[in-house]
Amino acid sequence: MNLAARLKPLNTPLTLVAAVLVVAVLTQLLGVSLLTRIVTVMFVSLMVVLGLQLYMGNSGILNFAHIGFMGIGAYTAVLFSMTSEAKVLTNADLYPFLVQLHLPFLPSLLIGGLVAALVAAVISYPLMRLSDAAAVITTFALLVIIHVVLLHWDRVTNGPRTLFGVDNYTSLWTSLVFAVVTIFAVYLFKESRIGLRLRATRDDHYAAASIGINMVVMRWLAFIASAFIAGVGGGLWAHFITSFTPYSFYLAETFVVLAMLVIGGPYSVSGAVVGTLVVTAAREVLRGIENQVNILQLFPQGFFGFTEVVLAIVLILILVYRPTGIMGSRELRWPRRRGHAELAQPAEPEA
Amino acid sequence: MLELNDVHARYGAITALRGVSIRISQGELVALLGVNGAGKSTTLGCIAGVLRPWQGGIAFEGGSIAGKSPEQIARLGISLVPEGRDIFPSLTVEENLRLGAFTRSDRTEYRRNLDEVHDLFPVLKERLQQPGGTLSGGEQQQLAIARALMSSPRLLMLDEPSLGLAPALVDQIFELIARLHQHGVTILLVEQNVDRTLDIVDRAYLMNTGLIESQGTAEQLRSRADIESIYMGVGRQAKK
Amino acid sequence: MINLEFITNTLSLGSLYAMLALGLVIVYGILRLVNFAYGELIMVGGYTMYLLTFYTPLPWLAVVVLAVLAAMVISLLTEQVAFRPVREKSLTAMLITSFAVSTILQNGALLIISPRARAVTLPQIFQTSVMIAGTSVPWRNILTIVTCIVTLVLLTLLLRRTVLGIALRAAADNFTMTRMLGVPANTVISTAFAISGIMAGIVSIFWIARSASVTPTIGLPPLLVAFVATVIGGMRSLTGAVVGGFVYATIISLLGVVLPPGLVEFREAFMFAFVIIILLFRPEGLIRSKTSVERVG
Repeated sequence: MNLAARLKPLNTPLTLVAAVLVVAVLTQLLGVSLLTRIVTVMFVSLMVVLGLQLYMGNSGILNFAHIGFMGIGAYTAVLFSMTSEAKVLTNADLYPFLVQLHLPFLPSLLIGGLVAALVAAVISYPLMRLSDAAAVITTFALLVIIHVVLLHWDRVTNGPRTLFGVDNYTSLWTSLVFAVVTIFAVYLFKESRIGLRLRATRDDHYAAASIGINMVVMRWLAFIASAFIAGVGGGLWAHFITSFTPYSFYLAETFVVLAMLVIGGPYSVSGAVVGTLVVTAAREVLRGIENQVNILQLFPQGFFGFTEVVLAIVLILILVYRPTGIMGSRELRWPRRRGHAELAQPAEPEA
Repeated sequence: MLELNDVHARYGAITALRGVSIRISQGELVALLGVNGAGKSTTLGCIAGVLRPWQGGIAFEGGSIAGKSPEQIARLGISLVPEGRDIFPSLTVEENLRLGAFTRSDRTEYRRNLDEVHDLFPVLKERLQQPGGTLSGGEQQQLAIARALMSSPRLLMLDEPSLGLAPALVDQIFELIARLHQHGVTILLVEQNVDRTLDIVDRAYLMNTGLIESQGTAEQLRSRADIESIYMGVGRQAKK
Repeated sequence: MINLEFITNTLSLGSLYAMLALGLVIVYGILRLVNFAYGELIMVGGYTMYLLTFYTPLPWLAVVVLAVLAAMVISLLTEQVAFRPVREKSLTAMLITSFAVSTILQNGALLIISPRARAVTLPQIFQTSVMIAGTSVPWRNILTIVTCIVTLVLLTLLLRRTVLGIALRAAADNFTMTRMLGVPANTVISTAFAISGIMAGIVSIFWIARSASVTPTIGLPPLLVAFVATVIGGMRSLTGAVVGGFVYATIISLLGVVLPPGLVEFREAFMFAFVIIILLFRPEGLIRSKTSVERVG
């Protein structure tokens, strides 16, 4: 098989990666530091959204706890990557054994992901057999639990206080690489046997069970993979923002990530990518408008929250008028197929 | 009175009805027979507005009702007693009946229907204040039918009223249906108990995998040899 | 220590939580929707009280009535504008919509009023106490309990004596069947949302009374409370919600007394873990309902 033929089934992820690369290269060339920051965060968000797509798109179940695992990954990664001095400086109460830990950046990220995945594995297994409605509600409860733990386990997370002093390891290209890897990973999962089986359960529980698909295990594996991605994404984000609190991993962020996925289209990997790009761009524009209005002091008490309101309204409009998102359930391909005529097929005779 | 014309209906990707046409005239007692999955309940669902046919028409007393909402259909005088009775377990018997009369605003009519229901179903009269969920299966079936009658229906549709009931109760139910028919109520009955059904109905349709396979009067269908083969054993207890 | 003060505090908290849970369950029972925007209705009540007490000389009674009305109106609006179009789609779509509505309301308050907390001038009565059996009992607690009782009585009358109330209860049992009896779906759902808004409005009075200020994020804690109380009560019944509210208040108060200082901050986490356990093993809630048992034969 020549190279072209081997790459054909990977058309979609390659197309998506190409798009993302173009954005990265342009950003690098333009050299505007604000833009570079926005795009770096966007790539990290992309990773997190892709992680959510892996679970939600294939299982059909809304997962409110996703950002919680991002938080677990973030806190774990920094506990490993920061030097002992830096850690003690920000959190005097840190458990001694945690102070001693130190690993380079990449291993720290991976451990962050693994811890998130481990927590996910343990807590979520019993939840996977619940009905769809109950499953969603329990993920909400999970998010709250994770938040409360992060908020009050002072000796690990510094509680509600800011954890600062994290090294800024996440550059434009670092986040790009991770985003690219994630695109491939999530796409391959989707096309893998697990992904296929999981989608079968999404469409029809009973039919899937009747052919021997174990819905509980499939969901569980997807949940773990999803949490791992979120965890690594959290670590990446922590090393970009360099200081954060547990409030960074709660409802506001959940909303943004959910909006990115749903607006783009939760049933395809392309949807996650398109959604992240579109929503990031939209948010920056809206934020720009907010800032202008504030500079011009048009509102005495300040003009805040405009971005979120518009985003939420768009989200509702999408749910009403185009529930499968911008991408529908389709994946991006390049070149775009015209109709479905392939050279080998005979043309349909005119009736 | 009621006419279905080439109705097609789907559940997602599964085609349930593939072109069903039936008609019922005022005062008739007509049955829809067929095995599980034949499409009988789906047909009732389309008439009642719970399902929307994607092709074909449904006309009631001259006006088209296909695709109307269940509320609108109920207000036209079509009452469905679904399979599984669907009485409200946390409401009392009286409240169930009260709600059955929702579409009627005439107080005297309400009292009249209530009295009639008390006569037909003395057991319900005893249990007026009990929650519906505490009633036995047979009592619930009676309550479901009584509730449907409270709306003075022009067309009463019953989906497998004898399902899951003890034989003595099954007798009662069929007697009741026959009696309602005598009173002049137009009834569309879905049943699997072929024998008992053919005893009381004027006409019947035989459904199979989403289509009407055959139709005729009760005598015509009874004489068909393949009815017996299709419904081996079901309902043919004492007749042999 | 468990003394009269503890008991009245818990009773008052329970009353508050019961009313909270009622407002959430009444919509959940019919639509299976956990309305994430419910907390924001309390915020609406709070901001109405702020705006009215700050900008108008209206007496407190009028302020309170208007706050409840405002919450009800906004609740109805969200139903008509946001939830109704999505209702036909899927439960997931409704849940995401409720999340979006919550965001709109919260940030709307940020936008229109201010991100900073706003003080609400409370009437004198909320600051005073009365002596009962040797203990000082705040009037606020007594008012909460009395309001709860009155609300429950009125709600019960509505649900048992009026046809609309019967239809609402029927819809919670079986929404489709209710429609098949001719009850308009929109009427039932709008009524449920209206009641939900009224409950939120009433709760907002006493919730604000405890802190004397309102912020855009004030809606989250009561939402979480309503959520837990509802699950404890079984999510299906209104009585369950009321009992769930009292049970939750009791548990959380006891945990506050019983847990050692290192663990007491995690009370909420324990409650939510408890929620997950209930959903796993006893989704019908902790309260056994007599109508869930069916005789055979």
